[in-house]
Amino acid sequence: MNTLLAVIIGMLTVYLTYTRYARRIDRNVIQSDPKRATPATLYMDGVDFMPTNKNILFGYHFKSIAAAGPIVGAIVAANLWGWLPAIIWLVLGVSFIGWASDYSGIVISIRNDGNSLSAIAHRLVSPRSRTILFMFIFFYLLVGASAFVGIMANVMESQPRTHLGIILLTAMGLLLGQMLYRWRTGLVGATVLTVGVTLLGILAGPWTEGIFKSFNAGLNAISGGTPLVTYFDPTLANFKGADAQIMPSLLFWAIAICVFCYAGSVLPIWRMAQPVVYVGFWISALSIVLGLVGAALATFIKPEVAQFVLPAFKGWNPQLGPAGIMPLWPMLFVTIACGAISGWHALFGSVGTARQIENEADMLPVGGGSMLCEFLLGLLALLAVAVGSKGAPVGAFATGLGGFISVWGVPLQYATSLAFAAFIVIVLVVTQLLFRVMRVTLSEWLGDVIPPVRSQHVSSFVCIALAILVVMTGTWIYLWQLLGGANQLMAALALLLVTVWLASVGKSWYYAGLPAVFMYVTTIASLLVTSYNLYFNVYQINLAAGRVVPVIGSGLMVMVALLLIVAALFIGFDGWRAFLRYRRRPAPAPTPATARA
Amino acid sequence: MHAGETIIPGVSFAGSLRGRAVAMLNRVFAERFARLREALARFMYGMTGFEFARHAVEMRHEMETVFMVVTMGDLIGIPVLPPVYSLRLLPYVVPEIATWKRNLARRKEFWEKEEYDLHGV
Repeated sequence: MNTLLAVIIGMLTVYLTYTRYARRIDRNVIQSDPKRATPATLYMDGVDFMPTNKNILFGYHFKSIAAAGPIVGAIVAANLWGWLPAIIWLVLGVSFIGWASDYSGIVISIRNDGNSLSAIAHRLVSPRSRTILFMFIFFYLLVGASAFVGIMANVMESQPRTHLGIILLTAMGLLLGQMLYRWRTGLVGATVLTVGVTLLGILAGPWTEGIFKSFNAGLNAISGGTPLVTYFDPTLANFKGADAQIMPSLLFWAIAICVFCYAGSVLPIWRMAQPVVYVGFWISALSIVLGLVGAALATFIKPEVAQFVLPAFKGWNPQLGPAGIMPLWPMLFVTIACGAISGWHALFGSVGTARQIENEADMLPVGGGSMLCEFLLGLLALLAVAVGSKGAPVGAFATGLGGFISVWGVPLQYATSLAFAAFIVIVLVVTQLLFRVMRVTLSEWLGDVIPPVRSQHVSSFVCIALAILVVMTGTWIYLWQLLGGANQLMAALALLLVTVWLASVGKSWYYAGLPAVFMYVTTIASLLVTSYNLYFNVYQINLAAGRVVPVIGSGLMVMVALLLIVAALFIGFDGWRAFLRYRRRPAPAPTPATARA
Repeated sequence: MHAGETIIPGVSFAGSLRGRAVAMLNRVFAERFARLREALARFMYGMTGFEFARHAVEMRHEMETVFMVVTMGDLIGIPVLPPVYSLRLLPYVVPEIATWKRNLARRKEFWEKEEYDLHGV
């Protein structure tokens, strides 16, 4: 297997899914009608509801759904089960489930006056489903933020070459916000300056590696070289598990990440979060485009970086730690989330993109098209890790992506630096947004009961403290799978809602209903497996060793997993009852389409 | 692009059937290329500047809300503030009233704000 063949498979998947399946559903089941008025045209308010060109929305929606998810998932899955199961799930997942979820999230909102999924669930399923969705979001954010902080702290501590780029990214993000919103500088000039300086900082990373290594050594000398915390990490020693140590340097970088996220959480959005995301977008987009085209060309130009090194299949139930189980079903299907299917996409599509769709004919290219592009991003991450399997999973990804970029003539050392930085940038910018949303969710949820959490500083601090506690368990793979489980469960619930809606309007519901059942059963099973792993592979081992922090952290994660299962059972039960209610009811008479203004 | 022009430099097919076919093909390709270029430009704008434009619109909306509240007294015939200022501003306000009212009247979920977008987690 080589990268060119994989890219061809990816392109064929996109073409066939879009033309042979998605278009048919759009035409025959949803019956999108260009003459029907959309909420954007009916309720145009100049802010949220605004008719927008489909190509602009395509770019906007794709950028909004594409980030760390498809990359981290593919890296973890390829290392656990091999590249073959991962690529099969990516292809089948996006073809039959992923595009349908993204597209349907937009469709259901457009056909329901631009309402969000929670509001539609409140009306169609049950009033309590809105509250459950609310709780889902909070825990989803908690495990997501914890997983990302854990991954980043480890990468930053072990890769001092990335530090200069990250420091400059922060500085340039702040400068960009000032330039655009205060000094009123043009976007093009400001972009060239800030992205250019950040890129130079990233490429200069190998030169400053020695300085930051000395800095880390100096930090570790404070404790005399002894670790601050010791915990059991089942991902170490080739997934057999071993004791890991938190050194002062790792704690320093974890705190630095939290300070960054705290600033991103409490400062006005234009001041930091938005411009940092924008600068980060260019860095990651550059790496991804160079990498994707490089992967296709590598077979002809640099064949040594195009051959798959990772085994195609590593087993149905690879070992992870002394007592862990990792069965391919259901764990693969939650480990790779965003590249195949993601619940957050549907949630975002329903409240963001759907309110700007100008014409019903744009629903498929924007919703389905963006998801198919996201699949290509997941495929690139999988290719990168499959060809560069040296060292830890993230290191393998960076080595592979660096190899693809080096096809363009960039020296491998700098190309790998760019790949490492791109990975950290993507994860970092997402993490600050996670904390921002989490503190808002917390203050909305508990603000009436505990008034102090209405303060953005208090709520941000609580969120960061909770995340750090979970990070101290040292089990980022389980955190990632918990995040994947919550995310996929949200996708299942979105598809369930679409199924209920299709039944309520007398349309064929199979294209959404069958994936909903599959994802619902799979994700609940995966949450049970993750709970089992956390309890027997982390909680009990750390308890036996008398380690307090990892015990509290892993105990908290087990509780979150069980809570998600209970919430899913409630909403599934309500959804099933609603579905039966609408199925037994006679189909409504077709209503004429409203003429567009 | 007209009949007689050519895609092969130095070779003219003016007047011939083949020449007209080539010219037509040229025109079709030129139009398709222009459409593709425009679509790509818009796609790039959607990924880059559109978010800033949306946020600027939201910031303007917040300002306009304050502004509307200030001028509302005059709109309904109650002179809350010295009307000399607000009356001068009224012509600019009136066209915005309908969209502003719709935006303000709609009940929002707290996570519906653009700033809570997670960018593809």
